[in-house]
Amino acid sequence: MPGAKPSMGTDRKAEEERLIALMIGYQKGSMDDFEGLYAALKQPLLRYLWTFVRNTTVAEDLLQDTFLQIHRARQTYTPPRPVRPWIYAITRHVALMYLRSGRRRKEMLADDQLPEVPVPPEMEKLADRASLHRMLSELPRASQEVLMLHHLLGMSFQEVGQILGIAAGTAKVRSHRALKALRERLAKDEGADE
Amino acid sequence: MNTDLLPDRLRQAISDDLAPVKPLPPVWLRTLYAVAAAAAGLALVVAAFKLTLRPDMDQIPLWLSWGCTTLQLVVGIVLVGMALREAVPGSGVPSGAATLAVSTGVVMQIVVGIATWMHSPGMPLIKGNGLKLGLGCSAHDAALAAPALAVALWLVFRALPLRPSIAGLLGGTGAAVTADAINHILCPMSDLRHVLVWHTGMIFGLMLAGWAAGKIWGRRRFGQA
Repeated sequence: MPGAKPSMGTDRKAEEERLIALMIGYQKGSMDDFEGLYAALKQPLLRYLWTFVRNTTVAEDLLQDTFLQIHRARQTYTPPRPVRPWIYAITRHVALMYLRSGRRRKEMLADDQLPEVPVPPEMEKLADRASLHRMLSELPRASQEVLMLHHLLGMSFQEVGQILGIAAGTAKVRSHRALKALRERLAKDEGADE
Repeated sequence: MNTDLLPDRLRQAISDDLAPVKPLPPVWLRTLYAVAAAAAGLALVVAAFKLTLRPDMDQIPLWLSWGCTTLQLVVGIVLVGMALREAVPGSGVPSGAATLAVSTGVVMQIVVGIATWMHSPGMPLIKGNGLKLGLGCSAHDAALAAPALAVALWLVFRALPLRPSIAGLLGGTGAAVTADAINHILCPMSDLRHVLVWHTGMIFGLMLAGWAAGKIWGRRRFGQA
């Protein structure tokens, strides 16, 4: 999966306003605006879906299901609310439904099939990229999700809470605990190497 | 526009059904619609059943009669508002807040029932007559709650609740608390056995109805709830 630069550091407000404008146009029936929305969100949504399924092909299939669900529910988006929590909540639901369904395939990816997930500086300094991938995949899913949404996709804890249906404070605590767990695993790994 | 990114199957599915849609009104406005419809429904039910204020109203302090009814109505409206918020993806109610709101609705009904019984014994519960009176009260409760429940669930399921059983539970509890707020000043019985069995029981029944409606809707919409 080709990696896109994380949206952190870019003008998030301008990006959010662009997404809102695309969503309004899409609700009015513009195919161009739907395509713009798809182009803007394809990569981050694939990365998020991959967190659940660990398989690039399945994630790509689920991305199409996600956009079909978004299409069926497009009237439930109320402008000018932020678009991303709305879309990520639907994406998460599609992934969870897949995991609960009989469609789930128990496939594990080899390391070389791992998608290119950008790693923010505060996590990059903890370990090399491959170790981070491995350690991230060993964390409980709830922790992985918070780290993915906040640290990798650059969402605020408020947005993370809206997507996961938890309070912003709870999202912050989960993120703190997940980072702590990562550091502990890293220390343990280093201890084992020595 | 980066059109080559869009898979053909998805492009076809979207372009086949790309009619303009009207966005849902904000939560506060949908709550207002629900309140208006529920109020009209309550007035109709009170008129249809020829319900009157309980005869011992003057023995119950104002804060406990009209005061608690108002408070219960507010809690009921908040619960319906939470259900409508839960129905929109990305604005879901935190689980803790939902649990707290549902518990508040139930506990408040029980506390109000106990306080009312302490201030006025109301009509005596005649032995052998409890079932008949209880069924009558339950019918009133159900009829008073039905409009609020119907409009709340209709508004919830018109949106896209990703946790439909939680949205249904919140809507069911909101309708039940709203109905009990009115029945509190109508039902002449204060006996705790009557209140806890029939009135509190009906609250649990309506909560269950909302939760079950959510489960069924979820199965139909997503294949599973």
